[in-house]
Amino acid sequence: MVKMKNERVPTGIYGLDDLMGGGFRENTINVIRGGTGVGKTTIALQHSLNAIDHGEKILFISFEMSEKQILRDCIDIGWDDIKNHIEKKNLKIIHIFGEDLTFPSLDLAEMIKTSLPPNCKRVVIDPLTYPTFYSDKENRKSLSTIFQELRKVGTSLIVIEEPANGTDNISAMPLFLADTVIHLQNLGFGELYDRTLRITKHRGSKHGDSLYPYSIETGLGVVVQASEKQIERVMPKNKFDALFNDAIEKTRNKGAIGERLSKKIRVLQKNWTRDEDPSSVLRLVLREESKNK
Amino acid sequence: MKKGLEETLDDLYEIEGVEACILYRIDGVPITLRAHGYKEHLLETMFWLEKQIKNVLWGMNKEGLANTIFYFRNNRILISPSSKSTILVTITGGEANQQLISLETLRATRIIEECVT
Repeated sequence: MVKMKNERVPTGIYGLDDLMGGGFRENTINVIRGGTGVGKTTIALQHSLNAIDHGEKILFISFEMSEKQILRDCIDIGWDDIKNHIEKKNLKIIHIFGEDLTFPSLDLAEMIKTSLPPNCKRVVIDPLTYPTFYSDKENRKSLSTIFQELRKVGTSLIVIEEPANGTDNISAMPLFLADTVIHLQNLGFGELYDRTLRITKHRGSKHGDSLYPYSIETGLGVVVQASEKQIERVMPKNKFDALFNDAIEKTRNKGAIGERLSKKIRVLQKNWTRDEDPSSVLRLVLREESKNK
Repeated sequence: MKKGLEETLDDLYEIEGVEACILYRIDGVPITLRAHGYKEHLLETMFWLEKQIKNVLWGMNKEGLANTIFYFRNNRILISPSSKSTILVTITGGEANQQLISLETLRATRIIEECVT
């Protein structure tokens, strides 16, 4: 059963939660997409280890690297704890080849169900290599089936490799099925805005829509370096409270419609992150709603 | 480091006659911008810029140009590369002091280069 409470799951990526309203939402599918060498696997491992540090268990499905390779990479980046986590069964790594799955959606969903350690609500898949998995006709249905099963389990992080030869294949991927999509890029000039992260989608939640530079630091992993102004832009502003309250006041004496409208305005007030005065938006809403009398 | 970049754009934006200043990445993705609220003609210019930045840069590189100026309606659009991966675009109105703004844009590109490299 999917929980209705709007709880947040920390991403484990330094500097990212502030830009995403506190992190991923519970029981959601969160996709990290990007080309080779942008740090997708680092994010997958960083998220996994952070969750374990917060008392969670992780099922890590690797379609590329073996457990041995993952261990070596983690140790190289300074995350030696991974050995203990595997021994204590807080982290379960499964290494499979996509080509070995006969019916990808059914096989993968079944494998996730049967492999989940007790009390495990987090699944990480690295990478869900799309072209290997699906025919054009079945792609949406297959992915949708996997995602539905994963949502029942809890919160999942899925890494998707962007093809190096352009965007033809990735554009066909039904990313709209995911709840959150984060796009990583690396232009390769070695400048601040070469390695960038963009939150392209974060369903049901406010999020930053700028281009954020990030770096990969040994010991820490991925660090998103948003400027103070960029962070400020995603924080709710209370300087316009008087305007919102005034608008709510105007909804009174409008019966049930007024009550519903005041509710909407309160939600807008809580989530108003812009520096611009909301007057014109409020005026428009009040005018439109008064037409429906 | 990034504060310097934001402040540089703030300073440029405060000059009278500057309608917008936008820092783009060379692939046309806007990094940060300063603009006065919603203005339809600015939006049109920004859509154009996002599509054309790559081509303009290619042309500038081919011809060895330090900067390029376009005129749209009443606006002057100054495109100045600020580092290997960034481009500063300053959009000004017809009555602006163009010489001052060109100099300030050049100064800003140097600071931006220091910030991002």
